[in-house]
Amino acid sequence: MGTHVLDMKHITKTFPGVVALDDVSLAVEKGAVHGLIGENGAGKSTLMKVLNGVYKADHGQLYLEGAPLELHGVRDAQEKGISTIFQEFNLINSLSIAENIFLGRFQGGNLIDWKDIHTKATNLLDRLGLHFDVTRIVGKLSTAEKQLVEIAKALSFDAKIIVMDEPTSSLTSREIELFFPIIGKLRESGITTIYISHKLEEIFQICDKVSIMRDGKIVGESPVDEITRDQVIELMVGRSLEMEYPKRTVEPDGVVLSVQSLGRGNKLHDISFELRKGEILGIAGLVGAGRTELAEALFGADPADSGEITIKGKKVAIHSTSQGKENSIGMLTEDRKETGLVLDMSVTKNITITKLEEVKKGIVLRNKAEAQVADHFVDALNIKTPSINQALYNLSGGNQQKVVLAKWLFSDVDILILDEPTRGIDIGAKYEIYCLMNSLTEQGKSIIMISSELPEVLHMSDRLLVMHKGMIKGELVGKDMSADNVMKLVIE
Amino acid sequence: MDRKRVLDIIRSNGILIVILLLIIVTGIFESNFLTVNNLLNVLRQVSVVGIVACGMTFCIIGGAFDLSVGSVVSLAGVITILNINAGTNEYLAILYGLLAGIAIGIVNGVLISIIHGRTSEAFIVTYGMQVVVASIALFPSNGLFISGRVSEGFFKSMGQGVMPIIIFLGLATIMQFVLTKTPYGRRMCFIGSNMDVAKMSGINVIANRVSYFVISGVLASLGGIVLCSRVTSSNPTAGLNYEMDVIAAVVVGGTQLSGGSGSVYRTVIGAVIIGIMSNALNILGITAYHQQIVKGMLILLAVGMDIVNKRMKMREMTHEKVVEE
Repeated sequence: MGTHVLDMKHITKTFPGVVALDDVSLAVEKGAVHGLIGENGAGKSTLMKVLNGVYKADHGQLYLEGAPLELHGVRDAQEKGISTIFQEFNLINSLSIAENIFLGRFQGGNLIDWKDIHTKATNLLDRLGLHFDVTRIVGKLSTAEKQLVEIAKALSFDAKIIVMDEPTSSLTSREIELFFPIIGKLRESGITTIYISHKLEEIFQICDKVSIMRDGKIVGESPVDEITRDQVIELMVGRSLEMEYPKRTVEPDGVVLSVQSLGRGNKLHDISFELRKGEILGIAGLVGAGRTELAEALFGADPADSGEITIKGKKVAIHSTSQGKENSIGMLTEDRKETGLVLDMSVTKNITITKLEEVKKGIVLRNKAEAQVADHFVDALNIKTPSINQALYNLSGGNQQKVVLAKWLFSDVDILILDEPTRGIDIGAKYEIYCLMNSLTEQGKSIIMISSELPEVLHMSDRLLVMHKGMIKGELVGKDMSADNVMKLVIE
Repeated sequence: MDRKRVLDIIRSNGILIVILLLIIVTGIFESNFLTVNNLLNVLRQVSVVGIVACGMTFCIIGGAFDLSVGSVVSLAGVITILNINAGTNEYLAILYGLLAGIAIGIVNGVLISIIHGRTSEAFIVTYGMQVVVASIALFPSNGLFISGRVSEGFFKSMGQGVMPIIIFLGLATIMQFVLTKTPYGRRMCFIGSNMDVAKMSGINVIANRVSYFVISGVLASLGGIVLCSRVTSSNPTAGLNYEMDVIAAVVVGGTQLSGGSGSVYRTVIGAVIIGIMSNALNILGITAYHQQIVKGMLILLAVGMDIVNKRMKMREMTHEKVVEE
């Protein structure tokens, strides 16, 4: 048993009406990678905010290397050795890597010693095994690279503990592979990482120990090699999930959609495939493979400039999303906050927007009809909201996602394109969405599912298309649907 | 808790309270201020700005902006008066004036759609249009004032008596209804809140947005025609800086420039507030130059209130979010 770099003892934090943290104690060993996992609302974020000085705990005490610790804000925590890598980066896009790392801490008098700063920044990045030109402008870096700059910044503060909040949520799978060794480097140099995630795979891959949170409490803690995946899930959701993925039972038949050599600029090339009634067609591939572009071309958001789309035997022209909808295509976008929902509008308004004709009489919208529609979907999809008039920003990610689904169910489209339907939502809600996909296909709808989470597309799809560089590299069916085969097609 | 509620009411109705104070003070000192005649006079004075401001309200709620309205006011007046002077049927003359506004609205809307413009691009495009149209309005009379040979009839009645008020309030009522009760109005709020969400919900964003500019254009025309009718003449620079008065009415009313929400009624209140203010200051014997200062401060106050309200809302939002986590 190593020494504890951090001790959080009996931390309680309440907000009006809610106990966000209930007598939480957490001990973190020096140099370890300590995972913190839990569903949305479990208290992970609050705990993290107590640790980085954003919140002050109502009760309890923090100890850093055995000494009591008082924090006054993020900067204070940073200077005392606790750095946080937030999901939204704290970088200035118009400045260089070196400037960002040392922002506000330039040494010297009136003149800045750029040479010194560049050397220091280069050294920091070297420690992470990275060889960046530190004069590059941060705005031109990829998300993954920006994250590394954040880590270098943390190192520049002599961080003892680096807290990472869902660090891989915006990385591609290849970037993630490059990111994990960095955590190894941190471990080697004795820096402790607190790794917050709800991705089980990652926790098991890189953490030494995992603490599981639920309802503001720590409900379990174990070295990762002494606990199973299923045990963690059970602790997280507080009940046993029989399985992560429901079984597919629908037998697809009859072609609904047929695409012939669709192309758009240099994004999509010669795309041909068919979608059958009641089918879930998965599309896998790396980020940038053209999956979203294909979805947008089908839906009309960014129309194709060559090729043919045939729906139920009829050739159709789709040049706009309104034409897409007229042709019975709906699309759940990958970013529900930016393109899926108007967050400051109510549940009701967000659902009925796709088919206002259905809730009007003459030219007048009928509040009652709208409320009935909303009530129906809140019920059917188990959307947890205080009221149908509630603005969406108050709902959790999973419930917001169900509202996006509801809006397309209401529009009653036959072909539903789901782009990353379970991104950023917790396991319980994921399962509900899978079940919903099954019941939709039972009703004769067809689904095109795009996902970066391979296990998800592999389990839920009847067939799988693998895309790479704007082309369909191959189709996998039945026993051939495996992660290995997908990767083979991508790499070839 | 009660104190908080009082503060809330002050916060959300700040400008109304200021104006009420002004009305009370003026009413006490000047007996002819609070008379039906004077108040009708105020309404008549604001009706042209008000009509144009109703169109602007649609534009702003729909996430756009129309700076060209001032020039359209001028141009529509010039076209209508010239036609009437040339002996064209007065209904046709009015129609030509309105068509000018529609055409300019279409051009505005299409140009902005082509460049996938948002509010800031709309600002520049319609500003360019304003300059062009202002110049076009000057051609026919070489920039000179055109006196109208207007006989009794529909055109003449538009600007007389209570007609401008009826047109203004009638339009506002219809537009408020369209905004709050129809699918068109709901889509407008979506487009103004988040154009991408609207697009990805299968809404024909381009057609809808063009329609906001058309409405703004046609109402600017109508305002110009009413103005001409009132003075039975047309001044090719009548609409100079009109867009600023129009935006002031919308902003003072409390519709936020960020789009997605607002109300036509609020714009009516905004226009009336500005009108009453000028009138009260006139009656109190304050010169036009000083009035401008008060008007400017009123606009600043409106924007300030807006920002305070938004901050409060943001705080509530983040607070609730925290609780949820």
